[in-house]
Amino acid sequence: MGICLCNKRNGLRFHNKDIRQSMIRNETTLQQAKFIAEYAAHLMGCGIHTSRVIRNTKRIGEALGFDVKISVFQKSIILTILDNESQHTFSEVIEIPALPISFKHNSELSALSWEAVDSHLNFEQINEKYTQIISAPRMNALLLLLLVGLANASFCRLFKGDWLSMLIVFIATIAGFFVRTQLQKRHINHYIIFIVSAFVASLFSSAALFFNTTSGIALATSVLYLIPGVPLINGVIDIVEGHTLTGITRLANALLLIVCLAIGLSFTLILFKGSLI
Amino acid sequence: MIFFDILFDGFFAAIAAIGFGAISDPPIRSFKFIALLGAVGHACRFCLMNYFQVDIAVASFVSALIIGFGSLWLGGKIYCPTTVLYIPALLPMIPGKFAYNTVFAQIMFLQNMDQPILKAKYMEMFFSNGMITFTVIFLLAIGATLPMFIFGKKAYSLTRRFFK
Repeated sequence: MGICLCNKRNGLRFHNKDIRQSMIRNETTLQQAKFIAEYAAHLMGCGIHTSRVIRNTKRIGEALGFDVKISVFQKSIILTILDNESQHTFSEVIEIPALPISFKHNSELSALSWEAVDSHLNFEQINEKYTQIISAPRMNALLLLLLVGLANASFCRLFKGDWLSMLIVFIATIAGFFVRTQLQKRHINHYIIFIVSAFVASLFSSAALFFNTTSGIALATSVLYLIPGVPLINGVIDIVEGHTLTGITRLANALLLIVCLAIGLSFTLILFKGSLI
Repeated sequence: MIFFDILFDGFFAAIAAIGFGAISDPPIRSFKFIALLGAVGHACRFCLMNYFQVDIAVASFVSALIIGFGSLWLGGKIYCPTTVLYIPALLPMIPGKFAYNTVFAQIMFLQNMDQPILKAKYMEMFFSNGMITFTVIFLLAIGATLPMFIFGKKAYSLTRRFFK
């Protein structure tokens, strides 16, 4: 009788220990699951097409010993994460943050997911590399301003504008892009940012109307630095690959931005309508 | 002279690709290939349109295809996904002038509602320019993405650096 009780007690103690261990394990697993969700949301937020986001997330999940099921919507991502060892599942819903587009994050985070699988990194290493990648500084603002100005000026050249038009477009682009970055720092609604910076750029380039130059081309190209090329192309990629929902969302967003660009440009056109015809 | 025309076209396209790409913050190591792809793509379209009388839609599609294959080849060398290379390279080919003419025609249409001849002219201008803009952007994206479908497995593992 006594022996039997003792055994029971022992069994109970073991049982408690098991529960505690599995709770600790569950806690770390939950942490890892949250990390996977954040990884997916970050990829989606910084402008990567949907199929790559899904592939990368599944891969990094695999490296941590999870089976990840994921469905991506325009504003949020739903993940169900199955721990292969304990067969527990975790559900995560995470909102997609609105981040500036970054190809650097795209390539480095994709590389991280491969490295995690191929070099068998543990969770701490992956997390450390992830923080390192997303906190790396962006390009110098002044250099960026110069590059964008040069780019738009040479764009003007591609449309057969002359040298004077190129100079005017260069100045107009720098003015417009400067206004855009300043407004973005103040977190103003991005539709308004697009209208204002398109108006500023086209207003500056309307100076071309007073010279004997290719003024129509100067006006047309001065706002083109605002064209949201990345969501346009990502949208088409998504639709072609079958992620129609996110694809159409991207295209709709890009279209709205283009409409805003056109509104900003049309203010200038209406102001100077007389000298354009 | 033709040679210099093509060279200049490629040169300015390269600057445009670098500048517009820089807005989207690409890795430093990818800039040289973005410039190269942008130059080759735009120069190719320039040749097709000016010396072979190909229309803008087909010429854009062919150039985008070349950029797509190029990004697949070069992306493997510097461990970059294809999109990182080909989206900036495609940006100089976006038909900005036609997009501008679409907006311009829309405004002029609304301002000339009472004059039937001008109204019809701007209506026609709006639709033809809008059609070109839409078709070219769509074909650019399709053309550059097509190689990714053909070489699926390779295209998906370009960033795989430590494979043993």
